[in-house]
Amino acid sequence: MKKLILVIFLGFLAFGVKAQVNDFKSSKTQFMIRGYGHMGYENVNTNGDRESSYDGGAFAPIFLFKHSDRLMFETELEFVINEGSLEVGFEYANIMYILNDYMTIRGGKFLLPFGTFMERLHPSWINRMPTKPLGFGHDGIAPGSGVGVELRGAFRVGTSTINYSVYNTNGPGIKTPEGVEPGEAGMLTFNNLIDNNNSRAFGGRLGILPFANNSTEFGVSFYSTDKAGNTGSIYENLGANLFAFDFSFVKQLAGLGGIVDIKSQYNKSKVDNMIYTVEETPGEFENLNFDNNSNSFYAQLSYRPTMSGSDFISKLEFVTRYSTLRTPEGAGWEANKKEYSFGLNYWISWRSLIKLNYQSITGEGGHDTIGGFDQKGLYLHWAIGL
Amino acid sequence: MKTYKIFGIATAVIGILTVFTLGSCSTEQVTAYKNKSGAQLWGENCIRCHNTPSPAAYNDTDWTTIEMHMRIRANLSKEQSEKVFDFIRSAN
Repeated sequence: MKKLILVIFLGFLAFGVKAQVNDFKSSKTQFMIRGYGHMGYENVNTNGDRESSYDGGAFAPIFLFKHSDRLMFETELEFVINEGSLEVGFEYANIMYILNDYMTIRGGKFLLPFGTFMERLHPSWINRMPTKPLGFGHDGIAPGSGVGVELRGAFRVGTSTINYSVYNTNGPGIKTPEGVEPGEAGMLTFNNLIDNNNSRAFGGRLGILPFANNSTEFGVSFYSTDKAGNTGSIYENLGANLFAFDFSFVKQLAGLGGIVDIKSQYNKSKVDNMIYTVEETPGEFENLNFDNNSNSFYAQLSYRPTMSGSDFISKLEFVTRYSTLRTPEGAGWEANKKEYSFGLNYWISWRSLIKLNYQSITGEGGHDTIGGFDQKGLYLHWAIGL
Repeated sequence: MKTYKIFGIATAVIGILTVFTLGSCSTEQVTAYKNKSGAQLWGENCIRCHNTPSPAAYNDTDWTTIEMHMRIRANLSKEQSEKVFDFIRSAN
């Protein structure tokens, strides 16, 4: 009897030990939180009005849930303090399924591969500048995210790599004189969580890395819809066609003793023309008739002397950016601006940096601005990837 | 019309680049490319957007999750992502 009890006890013990060992094996389903954040100080003078303030900071947690070797869910939120109040953003949330070696399908809200800036480069710990180039972000002409489905993938051809993406999303909307911002009538909006007219947008990007060292990438993107206005409105059948070209070169060059990083993107937007009747003052109406074409461009050059013998110097990075934005002449949101920025970054680690940046934007028009626009800003930001 | 011309030209340029690179690479070059190490691909691909990550930044389980995330986000090919993350895990 004692032997039987001993055998049973040893059996339970062995089972328990085995169970504990199993507990330490990584499970097939995995969950992790990543993300990024930043804070800083900004001193900005806009047309003579100086604003100096600490930037309250931003925190963008990214939740990754790997269900299996093929299935994953990802979502990103953004918490930002803007003008004294907390804003919560819903950047993306999508399910991804790897169909085969060359095709992945994803559905939900995802960052659009319209060029590369918004999809790959905008997070504060990746963006070498504390601000976005002209044409991106608030009132930008390039779409940032969309709700729909996408097929994407990459494959090798000889010594080159080709990557592609095609997607179908809820199409853009368009601001109208009857809306909350009548002065911006004719401007596309890209935050349609629900489609406003039962007409989708179709888009895609084709990228090629032609050289075997993967240093250079060329990309071409498009985004098109037949209808942008709300169903039943006179704006319903306004179509829009957008395209973008992007270029990237990143390589450690021994002759220059460091990493040279060049990024560039050109965006073009063309919306069908329409006469917008806007009430300028109560009872007084003005017909705005303009060619609804916009374009923006940016080019950024950065250099980090990674091969320097000095540990301090090797962590410095020099960066400069030029960007432009042109929105339709004659529109209430007409703008013609140029940006020159110069910055010095210090990399604390591979995913955390301090950015000191001087930015000058000059030109005419823009958001809530009539006439000349002259903005000079000094930014000191600290960004970290989590 | 001008818009579509520019778009067409850009697409054609990318097509020509593809054909050119296909035609110009020898069998030896393709073999050398296929035999690239994970360390080499780690150095070449990550810095296209951000600095090369330290393998010690996460544990092997987390790297497996990040591998899937980055393969899709950065549009890496399967062979690129497998080699890069196998290297990272081996160096961790």
